[in-house]
Amino acid sequence: MGAYFQNIKDGFTTAFEGMSISFATMFVRKETVQYPEVDISSNATIAEKYKGSLMGMPENYRGILDVDLSLCTACQICQKACPIDCIVIDNIKCDKTKLSDGDGSPVLNRFTQKEALKTRTVTRFDINAAKCMYCGLCEKACPTSAIRHTNQFEMNRESQEELILRFVSDDVKATAEKRASEIEAEAAAKKAAKAKKAQEEKAKEKGAEE
Amino acid sequence: MDATLISIGLDPLTAKITSMVIISVIVLLAFVTIGGILTLVERRISGFMQSRLGPNRVGPQGALQWVADGVKLILKEDLIPEGADRKLFRIAPYFCLVGIFGTMVVFPWGKGVIVADLNVGLFYFISITALVVFGVLMAGWSSNNKWSLLGGMRAAAQIVSYEIPVGMSLLVPILISGTLSMGGIMASQGWLPWEWMVFKSPFAVLSFIIFFIGSLAEANRTPFDLPEAESELVSGYCTEYSGFRYAVFFLSEWANLFVLGGLTTSVFLGGGNLPGALEGFTILSVLVYLAKVAVVIFVVIWLRWTLPRFRIDQLMSLSWKYLLPGAFIAFLGQAAYMLLTQHTPIVQSIIAVLMFLVFVFVLIRFGLKVRVSINEQRIPVNSPASNVS
Repeated sequence: MGAYFQNIKDGFTTAFEGMSISFATMFVRKETVQYPEVDISSNATIAEKYKGSLMGMPENYRGILDVDLSLCTACQICQKACPIDCIVIDNIKCDKTKLSDGDGSPVLNRFTQKEALKTRTVTRFDINAAKCMYCGLCEKACPTSAIRHTNQFEMNRESQEELILRFVSDDVKATAEKRASEIEAEAAAKKAAKAKKAQEEKAKEKGAEE
Repeated sequence: MDATLISIGLDPLTAKITSMVIISVIVLLAFVTIGGILTLVERRISGFMQSRLGPNRVGPQGALQWVADGVKLILKEDLIPEGADRKLFRIAPYFCLVGIFGTMVVFPWGKGVIVADLNVGLFYFISITALVVFGVLMAGWSSNNKWSLLGGMRAAAQIVSYEIPVGMSLLVPILISGTLSMGGIMASQGWLPWEWMVFKSPFAVLSFIIFFIGSLAEANRTPFDLPEAESELVSGYCTEYSGFRYAVFFLSEWANLFVLGGLTTSVFLGGGNLPGALEGFTILSVLVYLAKVAVVIFVVIWLRWTLPRFRIDQLMSLSWKYLLPGAFIAFLGQAAYMLLTQHTPIVQSIIAVLMFLVFVFVLIRFGLKVRVSINEQRIPVNSPASNVS
């Protein structure tokens, strides 16, 4: 009989307790992130207001591809490594430069451990994020770690066209092309000068022979 | 209304029928709207209680979500499963609908605002809602699906079991007011809280608690939603329903919530009674009534999102071992109480005020508890403070 009344008492007290908690929850801030309005590209913006545990994406998460053009040698290895051809690279000649990262130390080729040399530059570096399957083969193949996966996953756009990531802007392309034609002209001029010199030397030799 | 129609030249019979049709259409539309809006209210409140926002995209703060849901359900294909008992399958939702909508006849929206103040109003109320069992059982049987059948059987067992304590506990207000008519029961209460039926005696409080728990079970609300326990029975008796027929089930379920609130309010919580000075303001009376109904509905929704579901044996033992004896005690106790205090109405009023004060005390305790909970929940999950408790 004691258990019977204990049951009734427990029924009321536990319901009382539970209802106070659920009622209190109504007045505590909501945790919903209203996605299209709120920028979720970085955890930092969400974390300001977020009450719970916000781990974010792990370091080795294969998100949307990003290219650091200051490290790119336009070698096209990533384009060849891509199994579904979602990377398109066009390149032209440029000034021969040694790559260096932010603090001035030279960038090494990851495979040969030699200093990376840039002889060509990209005029087009497109990655089709709609086609990309995030396999990470391009990242593995890149000798200078210029192409890599970010831990971003938010990529909702209105059309497929907007899903193509273009890393080289038209301005950069124009300057690169201009520079390339200059280099070519210089090279042609050099060649012509060399040829002329050779011819002159030949003529000299001929004259000496005679 | 009849008089108006007769004055524009209709003969009395046509006028009667026309006014009946017009009133039923108005009531039906009001009910559909209420049922629809309640689905939205429930979803928003459940969202808030789970630290979510709930549907807030269609219209301002999601106010039109229920219209979108309704249109979607109506546009969906109406499937009848193979091997189903087609006639029963088709007719079943309307039994549920009629069972709930039939209560509208005696629904006291306010002082004097009632379609028909039957002298057996409360009795009619209880018996017409029992029609829902038929609908549920038919739907469960005709679907040719084991989940549906189990759901239907459970619903029938549950509603039949809980009808007894509910009916027994309603005898207490009937004893106090001395009438079965809804208008009469409402008129026997005052506008002040301690003039309400709940606080009239300790036994009235007991009967109110039993009635409330029992009618939750009758309305198939969590924690008594065994007929459609999602985790066990897919969706219970409406597993095989789709499209408009499912919408009808859905609507009658939420309209039932409103009916539950309405019955509780008019029988126990003073209905739409107004202070003497404001007597005659019908619209105000309706508003008071609806406000009380809204509070009761909120409590029901709140319970749903707090308590876990019962097991079927727990459900049955609650009804037969706890509620039914309690209802008997309330009934006999109230009868004895009335005999003892028959000639001393002052004692009755003192006890009523005392009951109200106890309620206020419980409310304050509850408020303090809520404050503690709010402060606890404000602590971020990963902060050191949250590891203490």
